[in-house]
Amino acid sequence: MFSFSSRSARIAAFFAIAVALLIVLFPFVWVFLESIKPASFGGKPDVWLFPPTSDNWNNVLLQSDVPANILNSFVVAFSTVAIALLVGCPAAYAFSRFRGYQGARYSILAAEMMPPAILILPFFLVLYHLQMIDSLAGVIAAHLSFVVPVVTWFLIGFFDEVPRDLENQAMVDGYTRFQAFYKVILPAVRPGIGAAGVFGFVLSWNDLFYALLLTGGESRTLPVAIAGYWTFRGVDMGKMAVAILIAVIPVLILSFFIQKHLVRGIGGGAVKY
Amino acid sequence: MSYVSLQSITKKFGDVEILKGVDLEIEHHQFTVLLGPSGCGKSTTLRLVAGLEPVSGGKIFIDERDVTDLEPRERDIAMVFQNYALYPTMTVEQNMSFGLKAQNMPASDIRTAVHNAAELLGITPLLARKPGELSGGQQQRVAIGRAIVRQPKLFLFDEPLSNLDAKLRVETRSEILSLHQRLGATTIYVTHDQEEAMTMADKIVIMNQGQIEQQGTPEDVFFRPVSRMVAGFIGSPVMNFFNGVGTANGAIETQVGTFEGFPQIRAGQKVEVGVRPDDLIPAEKGETTITGKVLLSELLGVRAIIHLKTQHGLAFKAVVDHEIYRDMKSADEASFTVRDGRLHVFDSESGKRI
Ligand SMILES: Nc1ncnc2c1ncn2[C@@H]1O[C@H](COP(=O)(O)OP(=O)(O)OP(=O)(O)O)[C@@H](O)[C@H]1O
Ligand SMILES: [Mg+2]
Repeated sequence: MFSFSSRSARIAAFFAIAVALLIVLFPFVWVFLESIKPASFGGKPDVWLFPPTSDNWNNVLLQSDVPANILNSFVVAFSTVAIALLVGCPAAYAFSRFRGYQGARYSILAAEMMPPAILILPFFLVLYHLQMIDSLAGVIAAHLSFVVPVVTWFLIGFFDEVPRDLENQAMVDGYTRFQAFYKVILPAVRPGIGAAGVFGFVLSWNDLFYALLLTGGESRTLPVAIAGYWTFRGVDMGKMAVAILIAVIPVLILSFFIQKHLVRGIGGGAVKY
Repeated sequence: MSYVSLQSITKKFGDVEILKGVDLEIEHHQFTVLLGPSGCGKSTTLRLVAGLEPVSGGKIFIDERDVTDLEPRERDIAMVFQNYALYPTMTVEQNMSFGLKAQNMPASDIRTAVHNAAELLGITPLLARKPGELSGGQQQRVAIGRAIVRQPKLFLFDEPLSNLDAKLRVETRSEILSLHQRLGATTIYVTHDQEEAMTMADKIVIMNQGQIEQQGTPEDVFFRPVSRMVAGFIGSPVMNFFNGVGTANGAIETQVGTFEGFPQIRAGQKVEVGVRPDDLIPAEKGETTITGKVLLSELLGVRAIIHLKTQHGLAFKAVVDHEIYRDMKSADEASFTVRDGRLHVFDSESGKRI
């Protein structure tokens, strides 16, 4: 490590951070400007001065399907996360306590290694035969295929940090292993569950690929709606910008709350040597 | 049958046999200490008694009941783990109440029991705190409080003092003892600290490589160690050992001198002669002596440890009073004789006491 003690080093560091922030924030600023740009300037990204308008916001929020799409996205993301946690918590606990081959825990990432393009066709066929195309349940099922492994992986590391003696103590104190799990171990990993939930929520919320192919009408999610502003007549930039901002806001807020658990979670169940 | 009875207990992890047939009888109200080097199977034994691991063979009885196949929660035991295992999200009071809740005790009775136990241990002011807000010593008390409040049939402790500093360790040691005398609870206590074992135990059980090497009172194991292993393990500073060979007339010849009066010794038998540093007393003229060059001396207070080396290069230690230490530390050589009846002889091959 080098220290920021010298004046010149501090100035250099300041500029480095400023440049990085600029690069990261610029798209947001630009999208925001697009969202308040009058239609007459549409499609001209290099125009910076214009009379601001709320037309795009009014249109998207009041006259489009976007509010319904937002609701769909919330329903899908919440259900996906709820089911993923219900499955992932016991699974992660089991992987954490498993004393056999320690590489086994990596197997849950195997599904994650597969390109979604391989999974989508079987998904489509199965849902088609079940008559579940264009249903929220179908999207939820598809999202579970990648959210469950990620949430489980994320949680293993948190369970690893809870000493086994804690559940041993509870069992000696008169409880079954299952009671020990939900009365003692689960509360101890609550921050991890929260972080894993948020992480899974964002994954589901942001998904375009599965949602685009499995939903059509009623069940369209927000990313699908955003993509919908890109039509064969061109991109309706102003309205798309509004929808993008709406999509990004929950992600930003949620990320802020879990940032401190994020790194630990992504490290997950990587066996510590 | 004794209050707690372990009968031919074996335990395997995979192909490795960790416990190789442990038989142990523990009387009601007795304080039993399992002592032994690291990895000898003390914790494993305790976990089998608790039911946290299944046995591979043998039977366990607690208060006349066969508990071998029972779950931990059905055995009516309390355990204090090395790291205390306090429930991190619960307050001290909730921690102590948790086991009683499992027994469906009425809330008001739980409150009374918890407050009485807290009073006994002087932790009443801590009841509303979370474990994270307690010092190591306080956590330790809470863990003990949580155990005694349940009034179980049997207490199990796995090295409960090893995370405390030296002073607190000695204090807590006497506190656990006085608690034991007050409650009369049957206890199995694991440690690898022989001083803890000597001071606390009614009965010491010395384990070695998955077997019981010796069991008896602290005096038994200290004054009559049954094997070379026990002799070397118990006592501080450790016992001095010298190799020797038996002669035809019941004597043992060693490099430090000849010791007589061992009629059971065969001629040519290889033995090890052991003598505790405390049993070496400065020799008068004309006695059989062990003589060595003074290398180093450590004053402990009233007593001092002298490090010596014989003319054949064998290192040994002696513990002497400080007046003697004053003369000896500047001396070149010192001679000692063995206190009467304090010579231990072990067969070199079997390691057994002769
Ligand atoms: N779950 C397990 N799986 C495999 N081997 C184990 C398991 N638990 C313990 N062992 C092995 O059993 C042996 C005895 O372990 P145990 O914990 O009983 O020793 P100990 O006497 O308590 O030692 P220490 O003083 O270090 O605590 C060790 O060699 C240990 O590696
Ligand atoms: Mg141990």
